[in-house]
Amino acid sequence: MSGERVLVVDDDRALLRALTIGLAARGYDVTTARTGTDGVVQASLAQPDVVVLDLSLPDIDGVEVCGRIREFSEVPIVILSALGSEGRKVEALDRGADDYVTKPFGMAELEARLRVLLRRSRAVGPASPAEVTVGPLSCDLVHRMATVDGQAMRLTAKEFDLLAFLARHAGKVCTHQMILREVWGATYSSEANYLRVYAHRLRKKLGDHGSMLVTHSGIGYELTCEVPQASSRSS
Amino acid sequence: MPVVERVGDVPGTRPEEGAATVRRTALGVIAALAVLTICTLVMLALRPHLSVATAALVLVVPVLVGVAIGGFTAGATTAAVGFLVYDWFFIPPYGTLTVGAAQNWAALAVYVVVVLIVARLVHIEQGARDAAAFREEAIRRLFVVSETLIGERTLKELLDLVATTVHDTFRTRWVAVLLPVDGELTVSATAGKPLDDDDRAAALGSSGATQALALVAEHRDISRVALTALQRPVGQLVVAGAQLVDYERQLLGTFANQAALAIEQSQLRERAMRTEMLEAVDAWRAALVGAVSHDLRTPLASIKAAVSTLRAEGVELSEQDHDILLETIEDQGDHLARLVANLLDMARLESGTLRLRQEPHAVLELVDAAMASVGSALGSHVVAIQVPHELPLVDVDLVLIAQVLANLLSNAAQHSPDGSTITVAAAEQPGEVALSVSDQGPGVPEEDREGIFLMIDRHAGSGRAGLGLAISTAFVQAHGERLWVEDAPGGGATFTFTVPVAQLGEVAT
Repeated sequence: MSGERVLVVDDDRALLRALTIGLAARGYDVTTARTGTDGVVQASLAQPDVVVLDLSLPDIDGVEVCGRIREFSEVPIVILSALGSEGRKVEALDRGADDYVTKPFGMAELEARLRVLLRRSRAVGPASPAEVTVGPLSCDLVHRMATVDGQAMRLTAKEFDLLAFLARHAGKVCTHQMILREVWGATYSSEANYLRVYAHRLRKKLGDHGSMLVTHSGIGYELTCEVPQASSRSS
Repeated sequence: MPVVERVGDVPGTRPEEGAATVRRTALGVIAALAVLTICTLVMLALRPHLSVATAALVLVVPVLVGVAIGGFTAGATTAAVGFLVYDWFFIPPYGTLTVGAAQNWAALAVYVVVVLIVARLVHIEQGARDAAAFREEAIRRLFVVSETLIGERTLKELLDLVATTVHDTFRTRWVAVLLPVDGELTVSATAGKPLDDDDRAAALGSSGATQALALVAEHRDISRVALTALQRPVGQLVVAGAQLVDYERQLLGTFANQAALAIEQSQLRERAMRTEMLEAVDAWRAALVGAVSHDLRTPLASIKAAVSTLRAEGVELSEQDHDILLETIEDQGDHLARLVANLLDMARLESGTLRLRQEPHAVLELVDAAMASVGSALGSHVVAIQVPHELPLVDVDLVLIAQVLANLLSNAAQHSPDGSTITVAAAEQPGEVALSVSDQGPGVPEEDREGIFLMIDRHAGSGRAGLGLAISTAFVQAHGERLWVEDAPGGGATFTFTVPVAQLGEVAT
């Protein structure tokens, strides 16, 4: 761990203290902000590599902070949510957040999330690569072909679109609405049951690697190369 | 002449009215006899100069007086006495009841007939006048009541008013208002004589179902009138012991329609109010669950984050960081324990199982207890205590009020910049002491000042809303006092609450 910069935005002093010490001990370079406004300012000034953002802040809503940071930066954002309500997480993910952790959480879990996001943001190369690789999966976007463990997958056009979309956003939780809008088109934004069917088929066709496609119940889907511990993600 | 008979002797009159009739008759008889005595005495003096016919003419006067004052009975009584007086004193031979000449028989007969006819006529005329007056009064009363039916009145009050008005106007034995409850007609209000089981059965009728809402034929002396609001059946009005004549039934019908509209409106209003209340309770409950889950998880999050760092392998911590994490865990653990205790106290207060232990305490004692309880949550804030020494003792539950102060202190610390000053002040007001906690934070905008105490919107008042304020409000209200927020002088927020002054008389200090 080589001094990657983390910005933690949270109004709770005790949690801020614990996070600062915990992340610093793991080699991160930690900056803190206790209000949303300060968080947005720090996000531009401190040039963090990743942002940890609490959704309930004293001045402006965390979801709004997400949106404001996204106006000038693609820095990965992990949301801390104490509400347990899926609606707020979906809102934040739709406004540009990349992942979430539900309070209370262990530092190992938070760090795992940060690592994935940091690796992904490092890996992002040209704006639209011709081929995306996520672990054993490889999607050739030009020839619209996907292989898993080198074996070609037999996919319908929509299945390929869905897989390619998730692969391009690997490591990020994609909300139902995002996926539907991008893959099916603007008018389909509330037909979440389509997704369930397609996700089921994709998982089957991924065979042994079916668990790469992670369901975030009530929120969306994520394609990941490292399957996180199931226990810590559920809330 | 059914109307006249109905009104004149008033069948089904109430006792006090029967007594009034007797009094009136007696008064009439006394007045008539007085006049009769005077006439007789005067005519006795002039008897040699009077004809038999003249005496008869004069003796009509007392009978007229009797009828006018006391009614027909008094008139008839006077006539009988007049007859005897006439025969005794003025028909020769005097001093006997013997009637001498045939022409005297004729005079006596004419006297009796004239007197009876006159009495009857006067009486009829009077009865008609009474009836008209009664009708007018009834209409006036119904009109007045109809106007007041629609208004802010509970359904129960409204039904009682309807029953009482009908009872008073139509002089019934009893009146019952029936409303459908779960499809069954039920006696919802009564007036007049309390209903026994037979009356109840009679009131409900044989069907007891709502389809019997149409005007039902009179059964014995019981009349039923449907209460319909614009064709919609609302209930039934049952009147017992009043023989209703046509115009009265019309009056009752009109009044019933007015009453039905008012009842329906009142029912709708009560339903709306109940729904509103349930919604408010639901919203509050949801807000409480949300606030509890948030406020309990926040300290847990710190504890878990700290513990997971302490336990992590391959993570090196400085001695100082190690201590800070342990301290965080202890503080947050305390915070959690305090929160749970507060929540339990609030629940107990609301269910009535927690009794306030109000005792006289010095205000500084409360501040000390609060400062001890709030502990490290104050961070690097400076606390300025402005409590005058001459304040009276206050009558409070020390534990609860110290908690209120502690909550306000930690709220102030949470919402103002590190190192800024938090001021705790106290001031005496008539009968109470106002305690306030001011910070140098951003303050609470005007539009959020109610919301932050309700937990509905967590973001109200810059995220100040939460369990702490809801709990504090509950504790202060349990003392019969209040808690509010306003701008602090020079910016920031001031939360103020009042506590009662202890009633001790003079205490040596």
